[in-house]
Amino acid sequence: MSEIIVGYDGSDCGRAALDEACSLAKALEDKVVVVFGYAPGGYGGGEIPSHREAVEELGEQITAEAAERAERAGVEHEVVLLPRKGYHAVIETADERGARMIVVGSYGDPPLKGVILGSTPNKLLHLADRPVLVVPARR
Amino acid sequence: MESASAAAGNLPGSGGTEVGGKGLKSGALGYLSNLVIGIASTAPAYSIAATLGFVTAVAGMGLHAPAVMIVSFIPMLLIAAAYNYMNKADPDCGTSFTWVTRALGPHLGWLTGWVIVAADVIVMATLAYIAGVYTFTLFGLTAASESLLDVSIVAAIWIILMTWICYIGIEISARTQFVLLAIEIFTLTLFAVVALWKVYITGTPGSVNVSLSWFSPFGLRGGTTALVDGVLLGVFIYWGWDSGVVVNEESRDSANGPGRAAVMSTILLVLIYVVVAVAAQAFHGPHFLSNNSEDILGALGGNVFGSPLDKLLIITVLTSASASTQTTILPTARTTLSMARFGSIPKAFGRIHPRYLTPDISTLAMGAISLVWTLFIINASTSVLSDAITGLGFQIAFYYGLTGFACTVYYRREIFKSLRNFVMVGLAPLLGGAMLTYIFVKALITYSNPAETETGVAFLGVGVPVAIGVGLILVGVLFMVWANIAYPKFFKRRPEVADPGILEGTVVGEASVMAE
Repeated sequence: MSEIIVGYDGSDCGRAALDEACSLAKALEDKVVVVFGYAPGGYGGGEIPSHREAVEELGEQITAEAAERAERAGVEHEVVLLPRKGYHAVIETADERGARMIVVGSYGDPPLKGVILGSTPNKLLHLADRPVLVVPARR
Repeated sequence: MESASAAAGNLPGSGGTEVGGKGLKSGALGYLSNLVIGIASTAPAYSIAATLGFVTAVAGMGLHAPAVMIVSFIPMLLIAAAYNYMNKADPDCGTSFTWVTRALGPHLGWLTGWVIVAADVIVMATLAYIAGVYTFTLFGLTAASESLLDVSIVAAIWIILMTWICYIGIEISARTQFVLLAIEIFTLTLFAVVALWKVYITGTPGSVNVSLSWFSPFGLRGGTTALVDGVLLGVFIYWGWDSGVVVNEESRDSANGPGRAAVMSTILLVLIYVVVAVAAQAFHGPHFLSNNSEDILGALGGNVFGSPLDKLLIITVLTSASASTQTTILPTARTTLSMARFGSIPKAFGRIHPRYLTPDISTLAMGAISLVWTLFIINASTSVLSDAITGLGFQIAFYYGLTGFACTVYYRREIFKSLRNFVMVGLAPLLGGAMLTYIFVKALITYSNPAETETGVAFLGVGVPVAIGVGLILVGVLFMVWANIAYPKFFKRRPEVADPGILEGTVVGEASVMAE
């Protein structure tokens, strides 16, 4: 049995990616691994730990929803929270486990916005050592 | 999944896989990075541009501005010791707000949080003002740089842009910070060297030869009063180095590294400031600085460097101010986030944006309040910078001072165990706190008289700097009374005492979870 890594952030496109990953996992008899990367920005100044805790809590809440969704879909699943930037957390988990593939959602932002904000699907496509499936949100 | 902050946030050495106790990777930030962040947050070029002219303008200051740089450094160094040891005890949990809450109780802790936020809002006005003036200076638009309307517009755009950047979590990496800081220090050093070269070798009209008395805190025509007024401004110049301390857990050897970096960055800063102050003052004398106090590096740059190299100085001030704006907005948002998580202010401030992972409500609130304040003060005060910076001096002295006292009180059972503990953990922070208290009180007496201030007008019967600085602390007391009723649970916290093992190194400082 192999594993399918899903980058998940609780958004619509994240859910679309998770659903796609679940149906693939069912067909391939794989396990779904839901990854949430949290790396609060802003190293300068005070009260970083509070920020990190808040982001971690958010991550726990989001991934709990994901686990429930995977449970309903009837696939084996696992949740991973890592204090990394999103793309970094996904790649690291995939490499560690020798995953079959990565599934990630796309907000459908225009490319220029991706340049300014940073686009996780784009980073994954270039940096990952395995197949990457990009799933747009249903419109 | 898409992360906004993925764009630029990787720190040097972040490729490791070591995972710390709470799942946070340790060792992401080295000693050097802490040092860089500490100095960059202080924003030397911007601090000098905003402050040096007012120091020389203090009545009875004469040629002693470099002495002020040195004297202001002393309480800062002593408070750095407090940061160092509080960080050892609690590298896990925030800074002044949490430390003071722990050591001196929730009331002073809450007030500390308030003052940090108030100070950060006020400094936004000076940052945006400097950004406005220097933006016009960069393009040679002198008339616009003197127009309140034009400066207000650029200042507003600046704050909105910076808030947006913090909201979506774009940040320059530590590596980029490092490069920018290197350019900043290089430019300032070059400025000092060229200025002194021209004074001594080629000769400059109106220059003054450096004398040993410039460095002496004694013999000011204005006596102690002038010195203290100068130091209140000087405190502002050093403000910000605490940023390097609070990187905390991300740092290698988190209990020791950041504190040492804070001490080192303070020492480097004093060197930069003294050298630049000496050079600037020698070049055209102190009166030139006083007369151009809102734009001293812009005004001197043309004569020291000549065109187009003088633009380098202006660009340096602008990048320095932008770095400082970023290290103002986000940490402030985080302080309110922290206060919200402690259950001491409304919960909404603790919200995290699901996509950008930033404290969005806190960030937007900070931006909005700063914007209103900035537009108000630029148009209401005839000498925004001077009044605001003097006012800030009060607030910085207040919360740095409390942090100093907090250290001594927190470690009170440890300080008599060895001479080293007594001097470093007990006496130094206490002395730092006492010095800042003295400066606070003495300056309060001076500036309460409106005639002593730059503006010269009274606001609620006192000078504008006192109204800004001390007035807002008092407003904080009122809000605290309200918070006491609204959030009784937080205010029932009891002060704590340091675990004996922390200083002996047998216990790694670990925060019992303070947040609710």
